[in-house]
Amino acid sequence: MLLRLAWRNLWRNPRRTTIMLIAVAIGIAGSLLSMAVNYGMVDQMVRTAIETELGHIQIHAAGWEADPKLERILADGGRAAERALASGPELRASTRRVRADGLAISARGSAGVAVMGVDPDREPGVTVLRDALIDGEWFGTSRLRAVIGQALADQLEVGAGDKIAVSVQDALGELTGGGFRVAGTFRTSSSDFDRSTVLLRLGEAQELLALGGGVTEVVAVARDDDVIDPLASRAEMSLGEAVEVRTWSELQPLLLYMVETFDMMAWYLYGAVFIAMAFGIANVLLMSVHERTREIGMLRAMGMRRGQVIVLVVLESLLVTIVGVVSGLAIGLAGALALRDGIDLSAFAEGLASYGVAPRIAPVLRASDLLIPLVVAGFTAGLASCWPAVRATRYRPADALRRS
Amino acid sequence: MEGGTQVLLEAVGLVKVYDTRGVTTRALDGVDLEIAEGEFSALAGPSGSGKTTLLNMLGALDVPDAGSVRLDGEDYSSLSTADQSELRLRKLGFVFQAYNLIPVFTARENVEFVMELQGVASAARRARAEEVLEQVGLGGLGAKRPLEMSGGQQQRVAVARSIASRPRLVLADEPTASLDSKTADSLLELMDRLNRDHGVTFLFSTHDPRVMEAARRVVRLQDGRVVGDERKAAS
Repeated sequence: MLLRLAWRNLWRNPRRTTIMLIAVAIGIAGSLLSMAVNYGMVDQMVRTAIETELGHIQIHAAGWEADPKLERILADGGRAAERALASGPELRASTRRVRADGLAISARGSAGVAVMGVDPDREPGVTVLRDALIDGEWFGTSRLRAVIGQALADQLEVGAGDKIAVSVQDALGELTGGGFRVAGTFRTSSSDFDRSTVLLRLGEAQELLALGGGVTEVVAVARDDDVIDPLASRAEMSLGEAVEVRTWSELQPLLLYMVETFDMMAWYLYGAVFIAMAFGIANVLLMSVHERTREIGMLRAMGMRRGQVIVLVVLESLLVTIVGVVSGLAIGLAGALALRDGIDLSAFAEGLASYGVAPRIAPVLRASDLLIPLVVAGFTAGLASCWPAVRATRYRPADALRRS
Repeated sequence: MEGGTQVLLEAVGLVKVYDTRGVTTRALDGVDLEIAEGEFSALAGPSGSGKTTLLNMLGALDVPDAGSVRLDGEDYSSLSTADQSELRLRKLGFVFQAYNLIPVFTARENVEFVMELQGVASAARRARAEEVLEQVGLGGLGAKRPLEMSGGQQQRVAVARSIASRPRLVLADEPTASLDSKTADSLLELMDRLNRDHGVTFLFSTHDPRVMEAARRVVRLQDGRVVGDERKAAS
């Protein structure tokens, strides 16, 4: 009965209620959409980092993180690490790599680069680099081939089929180098990565760096985000202290910080919307309660308790808020669906690529983005209705009935 | 039905003083009153004589500064605010000058309202609402909202609402003041019939001569005091 009365009370003044509903809905829809786009951008930055290089988990020899030198290698070629990772159900794919700093030189230029020796067959299971090829091929069948970022190719003024020299300091401390023909070039969402990466075959890189069969890292991706930590724990427990097992968030804490910062910003945004909403609701309810002082006196005279009057006002607040929030979420959701193919920001592609963001950003919605506003809205509605509800019961029935 | 001998409502030494911006008004100045079961009585007097104030005290809508009110022997002053609400819900019915119906409810929902508060089951509530709407001559109009009805019809709905939960006493504050003569007469006939046929105890506050004529007991107030108590012979 109270619910029915509360609902009908809302529609005594349809214009006022509609304006309130529209205000709440627009606030929520705007917040949701902007949050989805922001989170989509952050999510893409994280995915770019994971899919181009990081993987979910990396295993190195102990001490690598503090001082990444070539004497700190997994001497067994990372096989023990791969066995440990594969011993449970969480692993999707893994691969082995060597990594060293070096110099790439062409006839027209040179650039400091990260030389990565990768297994051409297994690397595509972990990163998107093969799919990111825009020219040439993924190593091909000939020996001494390199795959490099397109930005690096532009800097060196080379293309597929051209030759470059790669100079490195090997594990023995000797400066050494070799000639490689560019098999192909790739373009990822990270311009930094594209500008500074030379991929060689694992065996050729091991030979160049005098590593024998050793590798510097084993990179793994989990079946989904929820099992990254269990997978890392399993590897850590199995391999002991001889290795360092690191998740992507430990390897790139800045990325995690950005995710957390964006989450916090979203809450500030929601906070601002909810505070504005609370004042709007309180204002509407105060007017409504003021207009109904006499009627509330009549309800009290009929035997309605003060608590029931308070519940009635709180219900009115909850209803207008929940209808507004649900409408807002529906509009925001529809907007996010309409933009699911991404917002074209190619005009800012260069700037975005420097942050590891593709020029097309698709909004990303999480279940919590829909549920949490509902819960917070309920709390806000309750809070906003306290004052009007208390005002509604401040008069004795006789005093309320006297008021016009 | 004529007024019985069993005292239903008893007010002793009621005093109510209003202080508005330093001006003190003694709205009730030691009122004693007894209402017996089945009475059809009116509190009469000019404006400002204290009728509505007294009715508010008797209906537990306001608190006297001195004196006491008992309904069925239960002293209002011993009741908490919540218990007073419960007393109004279970034992009292109200009819107001301005009808005071819930505008967003239909006539039937208005009549069911008090029973809903009492927790009466839906089917029983509905049946009772239909019954009392029939009694007040509004059978078939239960689906109308107050604004779709005339003043007389609205006041009949208010009467139906006041008796639907079978209260011990119905307090009616100037029930005919907003009605034309014909509608007022018709309403008085209705309440008279409810009193005679169904034993509903009514106490009006009024300065309408028609109500005073219809009432079988008229208690006259002036300056917050009872100055007359006239009982008419049974007709």
